[in-house]
Amino acid sequence: MDWAALRVSLWLGAGTIAILLPLGVWFGRLLAVREFKGKLLVEALVTVPLVLPPTVLGFYLLVTFGARSPLGQAFEALVGHSLPFSFQGLLFASAIANVPFVIQPIQRGFEAIPSDVRDAAASCGLTPWQRFARIELPLAWPGVLTGAVLTFAHTLGEFGVVLMVGGNLPGQTRTLSVAIYDRMQAFDDRSAGVMAATLLTISVVTLMTTTALSRRVNPHRA
Amino acid sequence: MRQILRDAAFTIRVRLLKCSCLALVAVWLLGLQEVSLAQRPPTIAAAANLNVALTEIAKQFERDRGMRVDVVFGSSGTLTRQIRDGAPFEMFLAADEEFPNQLTSAGLTRDAGVVYAIGRLVIFAPTGSPLVVDERLQGLSRLLQAGRVTRFAIANPDVAPYGRAAETVLRNHGLWDAIRPRLVMGDTIAQAAQFATTGNAVGGLIAYSLVTEPGVADRGRYALIPQTDHAPLRQRMVLLKRATPIVEQFYAYVQGAAARTVLIKNGYEVPQ
Amino acid sequence: MRDPALSVSLRQSGPIPLDVEFTCHSGEVLAIFGPSGSGKTTILRSIAGLYRPSHASIRSGAETWTDTDTGTFIPPHRRTVGLVFQEYALFPHLTALGNVMTAIGHRPRTERRSRAEAMLNLVRLGAHASKRPRDLSGGERQRVALARALAREPAVLLLDEPFSAVDRSARRRLQNEIDSLRRTLDVPLVLVTHDFEDVVRLASHVLMLQHGRGVACGPISTLMSRPDLPWLREAVGLGSVFDATVTQVHADRGLVELTFGGGILLAPARNIAAKTAVRVRIPAREIVLATTAPTGLSLHNVLAGAVMAVHVDTAFEGVIVQLAVGNSVLLAEVTRDAIGRLGIGVGQRLHVLIKSVSIELQASDADSAEEGH
Repeated sequence: MDWAALRVSLWLGAGTIAILLPLGVWFGRLLAVREFKGKLLVEALVTVPLVLPPTVLGFYLLVTFGARSPLGQAFEALVGHSLPFSFQGLLFASAIANVPFVIQPIQRGFEAIPSDVRDAAASCGLTPWQRFARIELPLAWPGVLTGAVLTFAHTLGEFGVVLMVGGNLPGQTRTLSVAIYDRMQAFDDRSAGVMAATLLTISVVTLMTTTALSRRVNPHRA
Repeated sequence: MRQILRDAAFTIRVRLLKCSCLALVAVWLLGLQEVSLAQRPPTIAAAANLNVALTEIAKQFERDRGMRVDVVFGSSGTLTRQIRDGAPFEMFLAADEEFPNQLTSAGLTRDAGVVYAIGRLVIFAPTGSPLVVDERLQGLSRLLQAGRVTRFAIANPDVAPYGRAAETVLRNHGLWDAIRPRLVMGDTIAQAAQFATTGNAVGGLIAYSLVTEPGVADRGRYALIPQTDHAPLRQRMVLLKRATPIVEQFYAYVQGAAARTVLIKNGYEVPQ
Repeated sequence: MRDPALSVSLRQSGPIPLDVEFTCHSGEVLAIFGPSGSGKTTILRSIAGLYRPSHASIRSGAETWTDTDTGTFIPPHRRTVGLVFQEYALFPHLTALGNVMTAIGHRPRTERRSRAEAMLNLVRLGAHASKRPRDLSGGERQRVALARALAREPAVLLLDEPFSAVDRSARRRLQNEIDSLRRTLDVPLVLVTHDFEDVVRLASHVLMLQHGRGVACGPISTLMSRPDLPWLREAVGLGSVFDATVTQVHADRGLVELTFGGGILLAPARNIAAKTAVRVRIPAREIVLATTAPTGLSLHNVLAGAVMAVHVDTAFEGVIVQLAVGNSVLLAEVTRDAIGRLGIGVGQRLHVLIKSVSIELQASDADSAEEGH
């Protein structure tokens, strides 16, 4: 069992959630509540990472931010190391890859709130912020939680992007899924098996949580 | 007037909240990173054929000198590309000379490096496979003609020098065109060895150093391919410009007597 | 001291056509009446600030809430409106008390709970304060919505089809509730409905809407006696609507005596005490006209009237005769043949005959004696 790899995986999951949740809540709510020109295009763009092969994402990240690119060199000058082959690079790639997993459940959560309820909140004298914090967020909360859980699970399972952008550096970018691959190549099936079982358990528990949550989506409805 | 200010304050407050969340996360992660970088042992890139030998050498290094290095294995081609893209490796042990030379030309290395080992190819057949192994590949040829080769494993010639050597061998024996549709290519020689030894293929052309490990040798039979059948697998290593003192020591250690013993034990030849 | 009236003027050609202008003073109940899709809810939402027509001017007392000419727009959370939605729009995750407390943000924190409890008691839901909306019946939910709207201490009370999602018996009780509330409230009340019964029951003024256009606006008795509203005629049937007072109760005869602007009417007795104010509706079809005073008839009411207008509409078989009876106006519907036979013309004096059983009475106190829902 590669504990460093488990730690990297968990940090990657938590970090991705930390970045994407505030963004997801803001943007998911926007998509749920507003109508605007080009909304269809925006929604399609949000879904793109779902169907994008991870290697495509990895490729573009390497080309745009690798040591041979101007952006990459600027980053290295600023921070002291390159964006790919670092944990930050993984976080960046993971955030992009998980956008649909975060935004769509949150959007559904806010869409489920009847517009009448929102209007009633305004008519009760609640400012837009109070409306959001006291009425909308409590009602959309299952959607937000689902988004977080799905993102976490998906991050744990990422492989292609992680390998391409991360470089399998132990303790930094070697996640659990990459470690399994690594151990198999070293003919260490036993370790690979333990880690695979761990990942499987985490995935199953995550799925169970989302199923339970989705049953709760409308707990207040009669 | 107050009302207008209040509404503006709301928007600003929300944006501030989002920005500060992101900023906090970024700072925290950066901090984490800085701390962990300072504490981590240096990282070394090595071709996958060294999976067994170099792991042992590194362990010995730690026992003898009390210093640790982390090794990342991969195909020489992929590692070369990663180093060029900025991967923080401090030393690179390749499976050939061409790839490290690319890095030297790009000005990324201290110098041209040294040849530390010469590798060998074997043809391997797992127990239960219909393939008969022999150094002239006659068994393979017969099996091909009989149409009984389901899958045959080699490393990807584009990124793995051992794969390139395998292709040369197959071409020289006139088997390349016939066997090509049946090839399964590992993206490292270690992955090819996985395919070859676990019954997913009738066999494969893999690194000698990977079958010398007792656990693997038991899985089937193998025969050494004569060195004259392919360009010699001269394996060169280089220090990258960013190498730190620990790695400099390791570089010397690999050329020392203890390491050479391990290399020979694992089927390599070592230069004088 | 200016009367805190609501004055509204809305105009736009699309996507929802609107063309209305009206005023509602405190203590008045303005019913906006029209078929579905005529834009009634849009008007209400505009007043509340939830909809912005292209041309609008909305003022509540001294405050200008919307004025497209000057670019003024006060957002909905800063308008003191109480809005009761058709589907209640209660906050599902809060209790009844929590729902009402949400609207009391304008009061200090220490007062909020007690005020909310007082509101709930006002609509007789004090015992249900800690229940969630999903555990309440339709009528109870509507009362919570009402309490929440009132808790805001609004300058204007807006009701959007408040009884449409409620069953019949609950509807009667809710109508009574609102009627008694409006007497104590001193704010303009705007009520949107497609149900004529609501109008007759509660309204003091009516705005008739058709495809977003206000086709008629005025006190209910005036409007109801207008014969020139064909779709009203089709939808509801014309009649006379006016207010009267119970002057005497003849318990032995089973009758009550009503006094109104046109004289005295006798109607079948109900649980009504003397001096009660009632609203009376007499369908036009139930009125018989006579050139000579009849005798030996079963009906009780014979009034003297003069013909003001005769309204012929080829779309309908009957002819509407508008009669001045005392200070009131009554409508009678007769056949064209009858017009000819009796030689009915403007200025002619006629006897107006009304069966007592045809008189529709509505008194708020009468039904409140029964157990509330």
